[in-house]
Amino acid sequence: MDYKALAQQVIKDCLKKGAEQAEVYLEDNRQLSLEVRNGQVESVQEAQSYGLGIRVIAGKRLGFAFVNDFKPESLKKSIDRAVEFARAVSPDENNQLPAEPALTEVKAIYDPDLSTISIDRKIALIQEAEKLALNIPGVTKSAGASYGESESQIIIANSFNWVKSFKSTGCGYGLGVIAEKGQQKSAGYESTNRRFFADLKPAKDLARVAAGKAVEMLDPKPLKTQRAAVILHPDVAYAILGGFIQAINGQSVLQGASFLGKRAGQKIGSELITIIDDGTREKGLASAPFDGEGVPTQNRIIVENGVLKGFLYNTYAGRRAGVKSTGNASRGGFADLPGIGPHNIYLAAGQTRPEEIIQNTSRGVLVKEVTGYGINPVNGNFTGGAAGFFIENGKISFPVKGITIAGTSDEIFNGIDLIGNDLDLNRSLTAPTLRIKSLQIGGE
Amino acid sequence: MTNLWPELKPMARRRFMSLSLQGAVALAVSPAVVKNLLAGEDQSQLEISPGLLQKTIASALKRGGDLAEVYVENRISRSIILEEGQFKSAVFGLIRGAGVRVIDGDKTGYAYSDELTEEKLQRAAEVASFIASSGKITQPVNIKEQRRPSYVTVKIPLEEAAEAKRMEIMKRAEEAALSYDSRIKMASIDYYDETRDRIIANSEGLLLKSSLPLIFFIVQTLAAGNNTSHLGRERLSRHAGLEMFEQDTPEKAAKEAARESIAMLEAKEAPAGKMDVVIQNGWGGVLVHEAVGHPLEADNIAKQTGAFVGKLGQKVAADIFTMVDDGSLAGFRGTTDFDDEGTQMKRNVLIERGVVVKFMTDILSARQLKMERTGNGRRENFRYYPIPRMTNTFIEQGKDRPEDIIASTKSGLYVQSLSGGSVDPTTGMFNFTCREAYLIENGRKTAAVKGATLIGSCLDIITRIDAIGNDLAFGPGICGKGQSAEVTAGQPTVRIRGITVGGTRARG
Repeated sequence: MDYKALAQQVIKDCLKKGAEQAEVYLEDNRQLSLEVRNGQVESVQEAQSYGLGIRVIAGKRLGFAFVNDFKPESLKKSIDRAVEFARAVSPDENNQLPAEPALTEVKAIYDPDLSTISIDRKIALIQEAEKLALNIPGVTKSAGASYGESESQIIIANSFNWVKSFKSTGCGYGLGVIAEKGQQKSAGYESTNRRFFADLKPAKDLARVAAGKAVEMLDPKPLKTQRAAVILHPDVAYAILGGFIQAINGQSVLQGASFLGKRAGQKIGSELITIIDDGTREKGLASAPFDGEGVPTQNRIIVENGVLKGFLYNTYAGRRAGVKSTGNASRGGFADLPGIGPHNIYLAAGQTRPEEIIQNTSRGVLVKEVTGYGINPVNGNFTGGAAGFFIENGKISFPVKGITIAGTSDEIFNGIDLIGNDLDLNRSLTAPTLRIKSLQIGGE
Repeated sequence: MTNLWPELKPMARRRFMSLSLQGAVALAVSPAVVKNLLAGEDQSQLEISPGLLQKTIASALKRGGDLAEVYVENRISRSIILEEGQFKSAVFGLIRGAGVRVIDGDKTGYAYSDELTEEKLQRAAEVASFIASSGKITQPVNIKEQRRPSYVTVKIPLEEAAEAKRMEIMKRAEEAALSYDSRIKMASIDYYDETRDRIIANSEGLLLKSSLPLIFFIVQTLAAGNNTSHLGRERLSRHAGLEMFEQDTPEKAAKEAARESIAMLEAKEAPAGKMDVVIQNGWGGVLVHEAVGHPLEADNIAKQTGAFVGKLGQKVAADIFTMVDDGSLAGFRGTTDFDDEGTQMKRNVLIERGVVVKFMTDILSARQLKMERTGNGRRENFRYYPIPRMTNTFIEQGKDRPEDIIASTKSGLYVQSLSGGSVDPTTGMFNFTCREAYLIENGRKTAAVKGATLIGSCLDIITRIDAIGNDLAFGPGICGKGQSAEVTAGQPTVRIRGITVGGTRARG
């Protein structure tokens, strides 16, 4: 099917129906997922699917329809509904589609070989990872291993007479293992995700890490409720960055629902902190030549040496704030209106080796798992469940489970006093090891 | 916890949430527009010939296997957002497709198609049959349409209601929220409804059809005080027509969200450490949904990894504790006529007077464990194969009066509502974030506290429940397990002795 011609025809039909501006976001996606357990294939799923979203602006009003049936009568119904819905809602002068036809050059986000690699080889890879992990002493059971890949083509066209498209791939695999000892049960998971199949981490590395995570958490000891230093492992970067990315969402800022809303240009934390959002990185999992409404992506500094430099905007929120879109329109899929979100966002690496951070900590907790929602983007409060290791006199002392950590965003961002040199840029939301001087820890 | 690839995005995820500030622009919908929006023509006609279904099932079993199934779905949806005094957007959705599944021993093959053509269904059958290797030949039984009782009744069908009617309901909620208190600075109303048509056919001769309406209505209110703000929320959801709002009025939902926003403005820092916790009736049942319900889903048991492996018939909680999953409660958000594999919905007692008596199964785990099919095989849409999921899950009514439970708690935490949480079904470790909580001091509910987290392990927590109220109530929600499902969670007021609470201040 000629998707570009289809998209342009839909736009024409929207304008004929009375829309002043129209946009089509079309997605064609092939997905494969495989699961094995105890060496046996448990499931195989493969499918190709597609769909499109129609955004129209009529009388400054916004209507939207999505459909995965490209037969003329279904497309017509969707176009009619989008335009009729637009007439029913409120006018807003910030409703506007982006006019700019440019693209950002982004290298290596499509692996042409991915679909040609046999399913058997992909199954063999996860079978190997599982087998290697089960051979590691202490591991008693497999919680399964799985592989997933997707190959997609995104086409965006709008009534400013441009059509943009790109192809991308993503693949990854992971496994879970269980270590048991008496009545105790401990689980460990590890995964790797890349644009290119050849770049995936080897099975033996994943097996070692997953098994290590399960075994090392056996025989935990209770911890007294106390204030102590908290060292965040790179695996729990989300605890810091999850709420942060919602708080720098330009729409939340405009609506007064961000704890950072009034702090642009101000110091929001330790001078050691620099946070960058990069939509252009070669092979980046969240890199793309344009965002969810076709605006070119950028490489932007969000926080520099502790100073908040700016927020993320799509076209709508940017107009409302009186600035240009920063190329941060996010799109959950063809069924979603553009929202706002980061690309590859990371807290820049520091100078200290992670071992040194532990050695320099007289009393604290090395946190390797965090559960909960992270920092609350509205008020900046942080609270979560945690597991990891208690540190005494610069040494790992014993594992701890079922503890809680809590604090305010000021305590966390101002309290960061050591940053590791172990940043992994192969993840799309990532931070190195970080130490926070002191936080409230809940235990016995 | 079971999602290994948070970085690969699934397609077509529906989104409900958004925030906003107060604005003051009123809405006017002209009558001419309203007339155009009468949506009668959106009534779906999901048609597929029984012959094509039969042929697809036969093809799917060509390489062997125990069971083959075709699931056909059509979903028409609408969502409207009102925030800052404006109707920001209105969205129409039309999604259809079919999934073909083959089960061969412990293996599942699955493929789906957006197109309901013979060519695409044959291709899907071929891909799904890829896993069949046992050599077991199953002769499919000829499909014959069956009827099942429905637990959903509709007075005002969604497809006959004008958009203006929906918008009027939203406007009523907004007005009620903003007039509640001058400190309410924003009201955001999300309206969503859908009609989901399903056809399920399988090699056991099953052929079932159903059409289910669903409404999901979310009110969020932002209150601003001195250097602090709180976002309150209330949700309504039922399988029903627009008559749902006659009972669960938009004003009531809006006032509840606004009340929470204001109450939490004065909240102090929450204490940290182990303490007694009383959880109010209603959506608080999400704690046992996560902590106990997920580990009782039979896929964890069949895989020999779940926290309740080997616990069937064993006493795990006090006599007062009975837990039920019931997908046949009339009109509830977790209710369907039959599950997404065609199994009849019913009341399933999971834990009876403290003893584990049943696991929640889908067809696959029921086969593996040689247990009955409980009607818990559910899927988000045709792009997913079914897995064991909860429906409407609750702690059964107890005998204690809620006020007595508080009065007999010397000190601790009173949790009025929970945001949500998660569990690792393997270890049973769970965590929850409180939306609204208060200190209990000398048997009385006192100051509001913010930012409290509850954590623990499932097998431990149910032994610590020592009081259950006589005030069973429910709340609607979304449950995620690699794919999302509509659920309700329920409970009477309960007390849990000695649970770890995470807060920002040391206790004392």
